[in-house]
Amino acid sequence: MLSGRDAAPDGRIVDHMTFPPRISLALRPGREIKQKRISLVQGIGVADMAVESNVIDAAGPYDRAKALSAFKLGDVTFYWITRLSAISVLLILGGIIVSLIIGAIPAMKEYGFAFLWTQRWAPSADPPVLGALGPMYGTVVTSFIAMLIAIPVGLGIAIFLTELCPQWARRPIGMAIELLAGIPSIIYGMWGFFVLGPFLANNFQPLMIKIFDGVPVLGAIFAGPPSYLSLFNAALILAIMVLPFITSISVDVFKTVPPVLKEAAYGVGCTTWEVVRSVVIPYTRVGIIGGVMLALGRALGETMAVTFIIGNSFRISSSIFAPGTTISAAIASEFAESDGLHQSGLILLGLLLFVLTFFVLAGARLMLLRLEKKAGK
Amino acid sequence: MSDMSVSVSTPAVHPGSHPLPEAPAKVTVRNLNFYYGEHHALKNINLALGTNRVTAFIGPSGCGKSTLLRIFNRMYDLYPGQRVTGQLMLDQTNILDPKLDLNLLRARVGMVFQKPTPFPMTIYENIAFGIRLYEKISKSEMDDRVEKALRGGALWNEVKDKLNASGLSLSGGQQQRLCIARTVAVRPEVILFDEPCSALDPISTAKVEELIQELSENYTIAIVTHNMQQAARVSDKTAFMYLGELIEFDDTSKIFTSPSDRRTQDYITGRFG
Repeated sequence: MLSGRDAAPDGRIVDHMTFPPRISLALRPGREIKQKRISLVQGIGVADMAVESNVIDAAGPYDRAKALSAFKLGDVTFYWITRLSAISVLLILGGIIVSLIIGAIPAMKEYGFAFLWTQRWAPSADPPVLGALGPMYGTVVTSFIAMLIAIPVGLGIAIFLTELCPQWARRPIGMAIELLAGIPSIIYGMWGFFVLGPFLANNFQPLMIKIFDGVPVLGAIFAGPPSYLSLFNAALILAIMVLPFITSISVDVFKTVPPVLKEAAYGVGCTTWEVVRSVVIPYTRVGIIGGVMLALGRALGETMAVTFIIGNSFRISSSIFAPGTTISAAIASEFAESDGLHQSGLILLGLLLFVLTFFVLAGARLMLLRLEKKAGK
Repeated sequence: MSDMSVSVSTPAVHPGSHPLPEAPAKVTVRNLNFYYGEHHALKNINLALGTNRVTAFIGPSGCGKSTLLRIFNRMYDLYPGQRVTGQLMLDQTNILDPKLDLNLLRARVGMVFQKPTPFPMTIYENIAFGIRLYEKISKSEMDDRVEKALRGGALWNEVKDKLNASGLSLSGGQQQRLCIARTVAVRPEVILFDEPCSALDPISTAKVEELIQELSENYTIAIVTHNMQQAARVSDKTAFMYLGELIEFDDTSKIFTSPSDRRTQDYITGRFG
């Protein structure tokens, strides 16, 4: 705070580096010449800053032009390595799409667009009848429910961690979240199968039925015989699995909000909730949506845990407590024993998942654009 | 500046403690101490902000002037480990009362920061946002209030055709005036300026200074500044702080012409700081 200053015994402050003297120092004649001499002695480092280039030429054997030509090859190599890395992504992506399409062609020829709205999945019938409606429905519904749960909870944790949490509790909670991300999905599957499934079937579903029995739409959603394996079970597990993505990305972007902006909001009399809602979240919406999309991508494609607990039933039921299947679960559970048209149908399912994910991402982009328009950018 | 002679003179008996002025004081500080954890940042501050006067706080970096300002609206409360002792009254309200509703306090004591801090929303919303926190009014009334506030911030003519543009699209000086308008819109009693011009160009600075002068007709103003000419231009009273102590607090004209403390003299003549 007081570098370059001393308090004289009488309490007066003496400054060794006052401003005006510094100027006069720079303008004093002879100064430049002296500096030149010093730089010649000391070498190039100082000379670069202090004097003209003819001094550098005389100063040493270092030839910048030669050095540059040596770098030229390196630069070209560097350019091509980075360019090839970028191109390889496109090639891999394109290759996957092309091979999916080629694999799916027989099924596309056989079923056409009816594949999209056929619910029946009978690969052992003659000829096999295949329809994607069940898995598509299951994928969309489980991901939707998972996000419905994970977004508010994940954001809630992030807000608590950054705005409200006492300092000592931050690290343990933050670490717990990161550990949650590190648990292999098969563990989630087993836990869902042995713990969550029975709990949902024996306790949660009866409760929901009791509450909503007779209510028009909700009654149907929660109705049905209890089952350990269900869409809702899978959705809950998915929610837990994607929670760390949403939370840790939100925490990171919340930390980028300038403290002074938050202070300004508190300064007009906002409560913490109002600051979060009106300043923190709008300021960080791009990052939050990015985190949500990452989470959604994982939820749409998650295979192992879901295959374990969803029941692999291609029938669409109005109840979320009924067994179902998702695209990835269907592929995982049947691909090994499939051949011919059945296999082609599964590949077509994979292609559909690809397209579905693409549309979700495109939708997110669109949403972002509209948000920005609304904010007046 | 014209009413400088009206303000009650406070002869500096000895540094760090002054008799309180008899003129109507809006904010009264008595024996105020402030700690950042172990660090004793403000030492026994005594002063009063006169109603509808501009009080400037000057002093070298780290002397505690911004810290003092941030106590006036309890901004320090946001951060753990910072605590304050002493007495701080806004009229009859004890600002330091732990049970005090901070949101209502901050409606009475507005703050403008060093860097412009428009909220991430439209210009209109930037103003309406604060008003909505306290009042439920119709759209037309709101339009009225927004216009009035923007006029109060000397910004209306520049933005009236683009109220739906983002607050962030304005220039730095306009953003700062938007922040002032936003603060005024809530109708506070005291406005705190924390180096409001340090990020602005000279023309914007002149506009903001002019604005501060106009605002002082209706508001009690405290301004922290590194620019001594600015303090001399806009304030009625000036407080010089050094190393957490209030060295001298007096009429601005007196501080800048015949300060009674040697350190004040050294600082305003550029010997240090």
